[in-house]
Amino acid sequence: MIPEFEYAPYVWTSYGIFAIIVAWQVLQPLLKRRRLEAELREEQALEQGDYAHDTKT
Amino acid sequence: MIWHNIKVGFHRLGSPPVFHRLCQVVAPWLWLAAAICAAFGLFKALYLVPPDYQQSDSFRILYVHVPAAWQAMAGYLVMSVLAVIALVWRIRTTEIMAMMGAPIGAAFTAICLATGSIWGRPMWGTWWAWDARLTSMLVLLFVYLGIMGLYAAFEDKRKGARVACILILVGLVNIPIIHFSVEWWTTLHQGSTISFFGESSMDSSMMPPLIWMVIATKLMFGAALLDRSRNELVEQDRRKGWVRQKLGASA
Repeated sequence: MIPEFEYAPYVWTSYGIFAIIVAWQVLQPLLKRRRLEAELREEQALEQGDYAHDTKT
Repeated sequence: MIWHNIKVGFHRLGSPPVFHRLCQVVAPWLWLAAAICAAFGLFKALYLVPPDYQQSDSFRILYVHVPAAWQAMAGYLVMSVLAVIALVWRIRTTEIMAMMGAPIGAAFTAICLATGSIWGRPMWGTWWAWDARLTSMLVLLFVYLGIMGLYAAFEDKRKGARVACILILVGLVNIPIIHFSVEWWTTLHQGSTISFFGESSMDSSMMPPLIWMVIATKLMFGAALLDRSRNELVEQDRRKGWVRQKLGASA
C-alpha cells in the first residue's frame, strides 16, 4: 500500500529523481559494456576476415 | 609477512587483468548489498518513521537528499586520494578510477540539488536561493562536470587524466567551503543537525533510515565506480592481448 503523505508530490518527485538517477548508474555501465563487447567482436571478426560474423552482428 | 602480502596484493591491483577481474567479482556484490540497505532504508523512511512535528511528511525528502549530499562530498574526497596516488605513483588503474568517480559524483550532486530544491519550495517558499550552501554545492557540480570535460578533451587519455587529477586537487578547496558554509555565512539552509561526535538535534527515531540510506549510497558509489572503471580499462586496452583473451573466453 502506498502511504498517503502531506506534500506528497514533493516527496514522491524527490524519491523518483533519486530512483531514476541511481537506475542510470546501474544501467549505463551495463549498456556500455554490451556496446563495447559488440564493437570488439566486430573488430576481431574483421581482422580475421570473418565478414559473415560482422554482418550477423 | 602479512604487511608484505598486503603490499604485493595492492601492487597487483595495478595490473589491468587483475583489476578487471576484481571489478567483475566485487561490483555485483556491492550492488546487491546497496539494494538490500536501500530497501531497508526506504521502507523505514516511507512507512515507519512518523511525520516531523514542524515539516510534516516533507521531511522524508531528507532520506534521499542528505545521503546524496554526503556522498557527493565523500566521492570527491575519494577521487582526491586517488588523484594524489595517480599523480605520485602514476598507477593507471588509479587514474582511471579517479576519472570515473566524476560522473557518479556529479549524479549524486544533481540528486542533492534537485531534491533540495523540491524540499525548499514548500518549506522556504522558493525553489532556489543564492545562499552559500546551495551555491557551493552548485559549484561542486560544475567542478565534477569540468573534470569530465577536461578528461574527455584529451585524445591521450593518460595525459588527460593527469591534467584532470590536478583539477580535482584544485577543486578540493570547495569541500570545506560546502561543509562550513552554514557556519561561516548566514544561510537560508539550516545548520548541521547531525553530529558524529556531539549530540544530534535530530530525533533518534529518525536516524535508522538515514544510516541505512547513507550506507546504501556509499555502496552504490563503490559499485558504480568499479563498473565504470572496468569499462574504461577495456576501452583503453581494446587492442591488447588480455582484452582479446577475455573476450574470447566469454564468447
